[in-house]
Amino acid sequence: MTTAIVILVLLAGAYVVAVLEGWATNGRLRPAGPALDAVALLGRESVVTRSSDRIFFEVGPVLLLISALLAAAVLPLSPGLVVTDLATGALFVNMALAFVMVALVMAGWGPDGVYAMVGGWRFLGQLVGYSMLIVMPLTAVAMRAESLFTIRIVESQGALWNVIFQPLGFVLFFLAALAVCFLPPFDLPTAPGELAGGVMAEYTGARLAIMRLARMVLVVTLAVTVTVFYLGGWIGPVLPPWAWTLGKSLLVAAVMLFAGRYVPRIREEHFLQWFWKFGIPLALVNILYVGIVLLVVDK
Amino acid sequence: MLQTIFVGLFGIAAIWFGVVVFTTSSMVRSALALLFSQVAIGAMFLAMQSEFLGVLQIMMMATEMSIMAIFMVMYMMDPGGLMGMDMTHQKRISQAVGVLGALLVIGLVFLVGWGPIAGSVSPGRQVHDLGIELMERSMLIFETAGITILTAMIATIAVALERRR
Repeated sequence: MTTAIVILVLLAGAYVVAVLEGWATNGRLRPAGPALDAVALLGRESVVTRSSDRIFFEVGPVLLLISALLAAAVLPLSPGLVVTDLATGALFVNMALAFVMVALVMAGWGPDGVYAMVGGWRFLGQLVGYSMLIVMPLTAVAMRAESLFTIRIVESQGALWNVIFQPLGFVLFFLAALAVCFLPPFDLPTAPGELAGGVMAEYTGARLAIMRLARMVLVVTLAVTVTVFYLGGWIGPVLPPWAWTLGKSLLVAAVMLFAGRYVPRIREEHFLQWFWKFGIPLALVNILYVGIVLLVVDK
Repeated sequence: MLQTIFVGLFGIAAIWFGVVVFTTSSMVRSALALLFSQVAIGAMFLAMQSEFLGVLQIMMMATEMSIMAIFMVMYMMDPGGLMGMDMTHQKRISQAVGVLGALLVIGLVFLVGWGPIAGSVSPGRQVHDLGIELMERSMLIFETAGITILTAMIATIAVALERRR
């Protein structure tokens, strides 16, 4: 039952995010747009390229969807509404998100197309940049909660949300979250206007529909992740807990979609330079700062 | 019972993907087959109720094997395996050593007395105990290993750098 509710929420969220993305890209608000697009895509021919690696070609989009769903499985929407509350929750999110990269490498290699392959390998480089900025801010979050249970992490923010307690960690994690779901300015693997769609370039019809759906679910999952780890999850007055989680997540998703539109796309080597030379030292400073506050100030 | 079945199923999956690593000619397929073989081993850990170890294994392998894939693509002459390049050699000896090794391992499984089976510990407790272990008794070992790897990385980069005049 819980699983069904969570999947429905994710799908509904993905729909709203798709509407928002259309609005952010085209400047037009079309509430029925994604549904019409989906019908159109499903009706279209789904082309398989010549001498493609068929297994990778088919598995790529599905694995992307699975990894986004798996990450969402440990995120609580309200105190009782979580698919499975694992003792390794925060680590499990990170594990599931690692397979986003595997899916994109597969989808890039599979179709035997130049743009797709460049896009796929680019995302591998992108992972090398952002992965530390997922793990290290999460370490600081887990330090405060003294647990990897996602529910305990939300409860630890009862007095003060992590976004205020460790703002540096929040900024780093938010940027890394943008990079995970390859949204602008970190949309290197798809890079419209330069790679002609990159990993998505060779996908058509139903396969493209799955890929787009997976990407939207990924955005929703990351928005919920930011909410759970930094914005106090379900914590809030008056409204029921689930409404707070959904409201905050929607806001985060909107910011994720709109913020990047005002920044030019970053180049791969600049991305790596900034994330490694500035991001990782800052993440270490964040861990040190949180440790000092927890051990010295709070005691 | 169910636990044994799942451990067995994931074990067979691990072996099957391990076989695929050597039977495919595509470098990327080979690397990702190794990835999924390791993921199956991680799933075996999960089935054996060592949650932290399983999640860590699955997480680390995703990144490591994909990075290995791009290195294999860079260094091999035929990364896609479309030209029918044969990379095997010394087949007889390899087969003999493989069969002997497998027999040895299977023999060990049945001949060694494994002692009493340890009771399961709750996953939360496992995470806690691992943390204490890493920060107390094994800290020196891990720090030494970390510094050694860092030294090796710096040395590798230093060797690879072009000499500036």
